[in-house]
Order: sequence, then structure tokens, then C-alpha cells
Amino acid sequence: MNAMAVEVSAAAPPVQTPALLEVRNLVKYYPGGGSWLRPRSVKAVDGISFSIAHGETLGLVGESGCGKSTAAKTILRLIAPTSGEILLQGTDVAGLSPTRFRPYRRDMQIVFQDPYASLNPRMRARDIVAEPLRNFCRPADWGDAPLAALFERVGLDKAAMRKFPSEFSGGQRQRLGIARALALNPKLIVCDEPVSALDVSIQAQVINLLGDLQRDLGLSYLFVAHDLAVVRHISHRVAVMYLGRIVEIGPVGELYASPRHPYTKALLAAVPKVGGAGAREKTVLKGDIPSPANPPSGCTFRTRCPMARPECAQSAPALRPQGPGHWAACHFI
Amino acid sequence: MSTPILEVDDLHLTFASRDGITRAVEGVSWQVYAGEMLGIVGESGCGKSVTAMSVLRLLPPPPTTHASGAIRFRGEDLLQASEARMQEIRGNEISMIFQDPMTSINPVLTVGEQIAEVLMLHQRLGRQAAWARAVELLALVNIPDPQRRVKDYPHQFSGGMRQRVMIAIALACKPAVLIADEPTTALDVTIQAQIMELLDRLRRETGTAVVLITHDLGVVAESCDRVVVMYAGRKVEEAATPDLFSQPSHPYTRGLLGAMPNLDTPLTQPRTRLAEIPGMVPSLRTAAVGCRFAPRCPLAVEVCRAQVPPLEAVAASNPQHRAACWRTTFSSEKIAE
Repeated sequence: MNAMAVEVSAAAPPVQTPALLEVRNLVKYYPGGGSWLRPRSVKAVDGISFSIAHGETLGLVGESGCGKSTAAKTILRLIAPTSGEILLQGTDVAGLSPTRFRPYRRDMQIVFQDPYASLNPRMRARDIVAEPLRNFCRPADWGDAPLAALFERVGLDKAAMRKFPSEFSGGQRQRLGIARALALNPKLIVCDEPVSALDVSIQAQVINLLGDLQRDLGLSYLFVAHDLAVVRHISHRVAVMYLGRIVEIGPVGELYASPRHPYTKALLAAVPKVGGAGAREKTVLKGDIPSPANPPSGCTFRTRCPMARPECAQSAPALRPQGPGHWAACHFI
Repeated sequence: MSTPILEVDDLHLTFASRDGITRAVEGVSWQVYAGEMLGIVGESGCGKSVTAMSVLRLLPPPPTTHASGAIRFRGEDLLQASEARMQEIRGNEISMIFQDPMTSINPVLTVGEQIAEVLMLHQRLGRQAAWARAVELLALVNIPDPQRRVKDYPHQFSGGMRQRVMIAIALACKPAVLIADEPTTALDVTIQAQIMELLDRLRRETGTAVVLITHDLGVVAESCDRVVVMYAGRKVEEAATPDLFSQPSHPYTRGLLGAMPNLDTPLTQPRTRLAEIPGMVPSLRTAAVGCRFAPRCPLAVEVCRAQVPPLEAVAASNPQHRAACWRTTFSSEKIAE
């Protein structure tokens, strides 16, 4: 296992300077898989490395259980990493004590998937957005004027400040979640499936808002989602995860136009398209995603891969360069 | 055209609660023919799921729910049918699969027992014959090693496999109509592709009519023969699938298509903004005077706010493509986007 992790790190994509966030060999194992006789850990995130530049959006895609949300939350240290480095503007924050880490939280905020579950129903909108400010700033910073500006920034009416979350629609609640994330002027916002709970017409409003905020404030996003079309629209670079590992990472245009890894190809082929319906050739992937508690040996994708050969069971492929900034982990490309 | 196997005719559904009356569905009609896949699309709260549930009379009885209009299955009005007759129809002649395969199958029975139950109840098969058929059905929906898996419990299956089990239960009695309510929404794209392929193959093999209820226009574009678009309890557009996507007529349909990021649009830097539909879905508690979409519609004029638009052919050459809009059907002027 360790040998493999080293192998991946040796071939990790180079940092684009100046990187705001650089993640090196991040690992998160949970205990509890397997039987009591042969305990195994669940390898939720198994040695991933990537970087995010200032003002850049990195899309992180994959199917349920691939570890994308765990990765996002581990970077914010909402989940304690098992090992690896999280460099925020050059400082490794992975090993800092909670007290020493606290100031760095201001720079990294999160917008959650479910706008119904992530807002306290007993707090007024104003207090929800003010909470991070109360935590980190002086009273003057959570007065009415700065809060009203935040509400306006995300397209909510000032009058909404007095309301409770139940009085908002799904899209408005997500705006509230974004306002809360913006309150501390962070450099990086981790968006964990921010639009997947929303209807199409509302989803477009929130995506446009995130785009506007990035343009105006120079924010960086780690955009975690399973919807490939949404990720393509919002990201500059995209990383594809499968069973805890990054199988392909590259600039969005290139990754979507010429995907290299067979999993990326299959994922893109599986997306139903509105244009040119019917005639398209489909490669339907067989089978289900294996359990991360008991992943296949070697390349974890080999059980579903149309190109798999016996060698794939032997060793895990490392990320190899496919073009400028474009890396993929497969033995046969 | 032949006679439809299932026909919803001017259906109105209202729910009474302490807070007043909710008009969930207002005058919706559609038909589905044998072997056809009809898509019903719309956003949350547009009435697509309750329409489906009313077909099987799964909604609470009056006075909580009030249904008027007609739902004709092979000419028989299901709204007037006795409860005993409905028992015969449910799961036998019309069956339904639901969005969440975990909460819609029984966790304490093996999947084999749940498939066999349907067959013993409706087809009067003996225990052994029903069990043998359950194994066949699992094989039909591509569950590997069905002999062994038939004795497993739902928690031993993955999400995609549970949805296959749901499909096996639904198809056990070779129903004439299968209603699939968001069958792939809880699933990943690669699994979604497997399930849609399975549904498509099965309806071709068995001639079952499928009513696919979804919010995903992509799924509709790839699988359905015809599409009904619903908004706030009303049908706003209806067309053959290629026509709907090549010439969307109702401003709401156009808005939905514009709001979807597309894998084929060129990537520009900075990105073009997605077309937003401003505002949000209206409350169904208030009675609407005019078009329900008028408050959000870029084309809305006086008449839109005053009168409900009738469903009319978009062009004389294609009477099957109909929309309910004062601006895009009635007037000859085509509004350029």
C-alpha cells in the first residue's frame, strides 16, 4: 500500500505556481471494514494530490462512494486526515493543532449540498450569516450594514434578514449558504454538490451566482459534483475520482474533448444528451462500483473496465502525463 | 392511431389542508399507447408525481384529495372503479416503480419473497412456481447469479441492483402499463445508463407502455417517444421527442433547455452565463387567473395574465406538437431568442 502511495506521489502533477491550495498524497482511511477476524480499513481517500490556483475552479467528479465529498471535507479538516499534506499558500495545515489551525479556517469555507439540512431552522437568516463573523470578528463587522451588503451580494433582499430558513425556497436557502461562506472573505470555497438538490431553473441561478462571485472577488473553488455538464460549465480544471483515487486530471476542455482514462470515457458516454439523441453509440459500464472496504487489487477500475488485462490486477497504475497539465492513471494509454 | 392503453383526460387534483386548497393538477390530459415510452417532465411541485399516483389511486381518499376528470385504462375509468378492482389492477395490469429503491422495498423480506408474492397474489401461482419465476425475473433484469441472489435481502444489494429488483417486481405480471417515477434520480450516471437501457429493452420485448416521470431532460431526450412538459400543475407543451428538442415552443420549455449546461456547447473564457428563469414556481394555493408561467415569462403580455392559454398546435403542419401559450402558438410572429 505504502509503495503504491509513493508511486503516485512521485508522479503527481506539478504545482502551478502560485498555488493557493496544494494537496499532496491526502489519505483518509476509516476503520471498520471487513470482518472482526480480518479487520480492514475503508479507503475513502487513497492518496490524492492536486493544486488549485488563485481564482481557479477545480471540479472534482465521480460517482457516489468515490470519496469526493470525504476529500473535500478532509481538506477543510472537518474530517481529520489519516496522512498527507494540505498546503494553504505554502503552509501545511494538515498537522496543525486545532488552535493553530483556527486562523486558517477563515480562508477556507464550504457550501453544503442540502440547503435544508445545513441551515439551523431556529436561527434567523441574519444570524446564520453572521455566525462566522461572530466567531472571528469584532462586533462592528456583524452590524446591519455589512450583513445587508452580503445579502445583496448573493441576490437576497435585505428584508429577508429577519426570516427563518423555512420561509425560503431551496434556491434562496442555497444563496443563504453562500452568503455564510462569503462572510469571512475566504480565498477558497469548497462547494460540495451545491446545486444537486435544486431544480434546473434554480440551479442555473446558483451557478451564475458562483461565477459572478468568482469574477468579482477572485475566489477559488473546489467544486465537488456528480453532474458532468455542470462541472464542465463551471470548472477550469477537472479531476475524476474512482474509489478514492484520482484517475484523471486535466484542463476542462481537453479532458472533456479527449478523455484518456477508460473510466472518464465511460462516465462521459453515460451522460444522457439532449442534442443528437438516439444515434449515439453507448458504452454501458457493466456492474457496480466495488466497495471501498474491499477494493480490487491493482487498478481499482479493472473489474468494470472494457480494456482490463491480467496485468491490471498486479499493480496500480500511476498518473502519467497525457498533455500539458493533463494526467491519467492507466497502464494502457 | 390506435386507441391508447391508458388515457388521462382533463384530470384535476386538489388537496385540502388546514392552510387551504392546493390545486396540484389542473386539467391535465395525456395518452400512452402500447409499447410506447411517454416522458412527463417538470420541476418539483409541478404535479407530475401526483398525476402518476392518482392513476393507481395511491392518493388519500376524499375529502383530503379531490380528483375529477377521467383516467381510462382500456376504456375503464379508474377514478370510478371499486377498491377491489383497483387491487386487481395494481401491480398486475398497471405497476409502478418509485424513485428510492431502498424505501420502496421491504427490508425484512428476501427479494425472492417479494417478487414471488406478486405472482402468488395476482397470478395464483404456487409457491414453487412463483419462486422459479422470481429467479427468471432476476435474470431478466441482469442480476448476476440469480439462483443465489434470490435468497438475499435488499440491504445486500447496491442501489442500482435494488432498482433492478423493483423493476423485476413491477414486471412480474407482465403489466400493460409501467409507471416509472424518477427511476434513476437516486442513481449514478453509469448505473442510470444501465437502468434506462434495461427499461428500453424490456418495453420493446414485452410491449409494455412506459410512463417515465422525470426532471431530467437528458433522460427524456434519449429514451422517450413523446414528451409532456408540466409546469405548476398544468401541461404546457406536448410533442414527439425530436420536435420538442429541435423546436421547443413554450417559453418555459425553452427556459429549461437554456438553463441546462450542455456537454456540447463550446467552452469560452469567461463562460457564457446560463439562461436563468427568473423568480420561482408559484404557490399552488392561489388560483391563477391567467397563464401560470406569466410572472416568470419574458414574453408575457396583458392577455397572458388575464386568460388561461389553450393548448394549441404550434404549427399547422404538425398537430401533434402542441403548446399552451398565447405568444408562441396564437400569434404568427415568432419571437427570436
